[in-house]
Amino acid sequence: MNAAKFSKMFLRFAAVSCVTVAIAFCANLTSLKPGKAELKSAGPLAFGPDGILFVGDSMGATITAIDSEDRTPGRAGAKVEVKGLNKAIAGMLGTTPDQILVNDMAVNPISKNVYLSVSRGRGPDAVAMILRVDLAGKITEVSLSNVKHSTVSLPDAPAEKEGRSNPRLETITDMAFVDGKVFIAGLSNEEFSSSLRSISFPFEQAAKGSSVEIYHGSHGRFETNSPVRTFVPYNVLGKDYILAAYTCTPLVKIPVSDLKPGAKVKGTTIAELGNRNRPLDMIIYKKGGQDYILMANQSRGVMKMPVNGVDKLTAITAPVPDKQGLSYETIAELKGVAQLDKFDDGNALMLFDDAGSLDLRTVALP
Amino acid sequence: MPIARIILVLGLLPFLAAAQNVSIKIEDGRFQVTGWTPGASEPSGGWGSIFSVYAGEGDLPPMLGSYAVENGSLVFRPRFPLSPGVRTRAVFRTPGALPVVAIFNASTAAPAATARVEHVYPSVDVLPDNQLKFYLQFSAPMSRGEVWRRIHLLDPNGKGVDLPFLEIAQELWDRDYRRLTVLFDPGRIKRGLLPLEEVGPAIEEGKSYTLVIDREWLDARGAPMTEGFRKAFRVGPSDRTPPDTAAWRVTAPKAGTVDALVVKFPESMDWALSLRLIEVAGVAGTASVESNETEWRFKPNAPWKSGEYKIVVDTALEDLAGNRIGRAFDVDTFERVSEKISGKTVTLGFRIGQN
Repeated sequence: MNAAKFSKMFLRFAAVSCVTVAIAFCANLTSLKPGKAELKSAGPLAFGPDGILFVGDSMGATITAIDSEDRTPGRAGAKVEVKGLNKAIAGMLGTTPDQILVNDMAVNPISKNVYLSVSRGRGPDAVAMILRVDLAGKITEVSLSNVKHSTVSLPDAPAEKEGRSNPRLETITDMAFVDGKVFIAGLSNEEFSSSLRSISFPFEQAAKGSSVEIYHGSHGRFETNSPVRTFVPYNVLGKDYILAAYTCTPLVKIPVSDLKPGAKVKGTTIAELGNRNRPLDMIIYKKGGQDYILMANQSRGVMKMPVNGVDKLTAITAPVPDKQGLSYETIAELKGVAQLDKFDDGNALMLFDDAGSLDLRTVALP
Repeated sequence: MPIARIILVLGLLPFLAAAQNVSIKIEDGRFQVTGWTPGASEPSGGWGSIFSVYAGEGDLPPMLGSYAVENGSLVFRPRFPLSPGVRTRAVFRTPGALPVVAIFNASTAAPAATARVEHVYPSVDVLPDNQLKFYLQFSAPMSRGEVWRRIHLLDPNGKGVDLPFLEIAQELWDRDYRRLTVLFDPGRIKRGLLPLEEVGPAIEEGKSYTLVIDREWLDARGAPMTEGFRKAFRVGPSDRTPPDTAAWRVTAPKAGTVDALVVKFPESMDWALSLRLIEVAGVAGTASVESNETEWRFKPNAPWKSGEYKIVVDTALEDLAGNRIGRAFDVDTFERVSEKISGKTVTLGFRIGQN
């Protein structure tokens, strides 16, 4: 093949690829319509493709996809550091730092700007806001009054009965975008059960998503459908998994292909993290050819676990001492980590709670 | 050099003093620059480049808000009404003039304490050692974010039990922030898990405990409660038996009355779920749960008519230990319950007669 012919073929291939990408890009973005995005609360955040930000609203029982219009790649080697984040936000919103709750944090994988879901106030009248922190540390409000967005309702509690508001609420504990779907873990304030729901994106009218029941028998014998506390998508050799940390401490792997509407899925326990394990957030990263989980933990600090070959990990089937399955080490110098997200290949973004002062900074992956 | 700089500043002072008549006042939550006439158009850096208002102490970004020229004056409206206790500093800068700074001290009137704990469910004072949750019902909306500092479980010696509850950051409130659900750590209830094997259950059979709720817990307005709350209870044996509706006793009222239909349970059931998951098919009315949550009562809106009725029970209904109808909280996979209830509801029939 001569060079000119190759070049022509390459250009044709490139053009087709661009068109394919552009069609997907358009489908995602054209589903978002301008207008006011109504959020009753702003909880878990997750980024999807094309700078689309998903916001979990437990109080409103909805997921809203917002076009961040933030698609300019961030500069390589950028770092973020904001000390006293809650004080700065309180100042911007005309209130005291104790009235600011930072509910979640997500890094835009394209621009590396940081998005925060924030409550101004602590009661039922708290105002839900989305704020952006750029790489210079400047904080701005993401206006929800006229933004391209799309909202889907979750199949929540039955409607109000005879004028009384229904006290049942499904709190969204975590959310992630995997392979064209938003996965949502929820925890009810009434019945004890797990709900892991997936909703295809772009959202379709009346599509409530499908819910699956996940059981796990940590040591083989007793099963519960315990709620998922936090989870992270993980792709091994082209196969998508969800690694879910349960409220009752095991770390469980679930193949995404098993999560079919109405299915009863049995998760496989790959680690039993033992007492005092209170996982807050997890990310997966690669270092020196090895995959690791980094887990922020309320009472244990930040834990690092090598996780190569999760597809080959076998279930734990008998009672065992602490640290069964994946071994972990605690990163002693990382204390008070309240939120965690992946920043780039070499860094995580962490929100530290230092005696009531929230500090945001990038930290080299250990 | 320093001397030259001082002379330069002194030399500029007559010009800088030109902004002397400018002042900033606050009225109806708006910050207004008086004694200065805005130009026809906004400065290139926006109104924020010449007039900013800061809330709180220290080097903070300016408050969010909007600018307008009203009756010839520049006005800043904060994005939100100022919270009580917030001091503000408004700064007006024009080229060639010293900045005009005005400080407004905030009102510090603290709201009066009015909220209290109305009730803690379960009402009963003997709980199974695998008790799953408490519901805390408050008289007024409360504040989120400090639950785990305000709730304590004391052991028989009055010492705090270490991490008895599932401390999730989201906090399981209802929409009004008047009811909080507190789950015991399921890792210390479900059999076969490390926490239960290592540190045992949060509560042990035969012992007495006290649930303590601090008065200092702030309500939604930022006021503490009028009083704290204590619930003392004893711990009985585990309950690993799924509730069975066949053991419920139904007492039907008479036709033509609006008397309550009464369903008696052989054990206390989950309060919130009993209220929500039991109904009489086709009859509108009001349900209540009484007698330490062993009794479900239903009063119809219209008098009962003679005939056959059905009580419909969602199988998600739980007892105090989280055992659901037809399924225990944790199922022993080697000794599975042989009779599985596959449907989502079970029904109980009853008849309304004239006598």
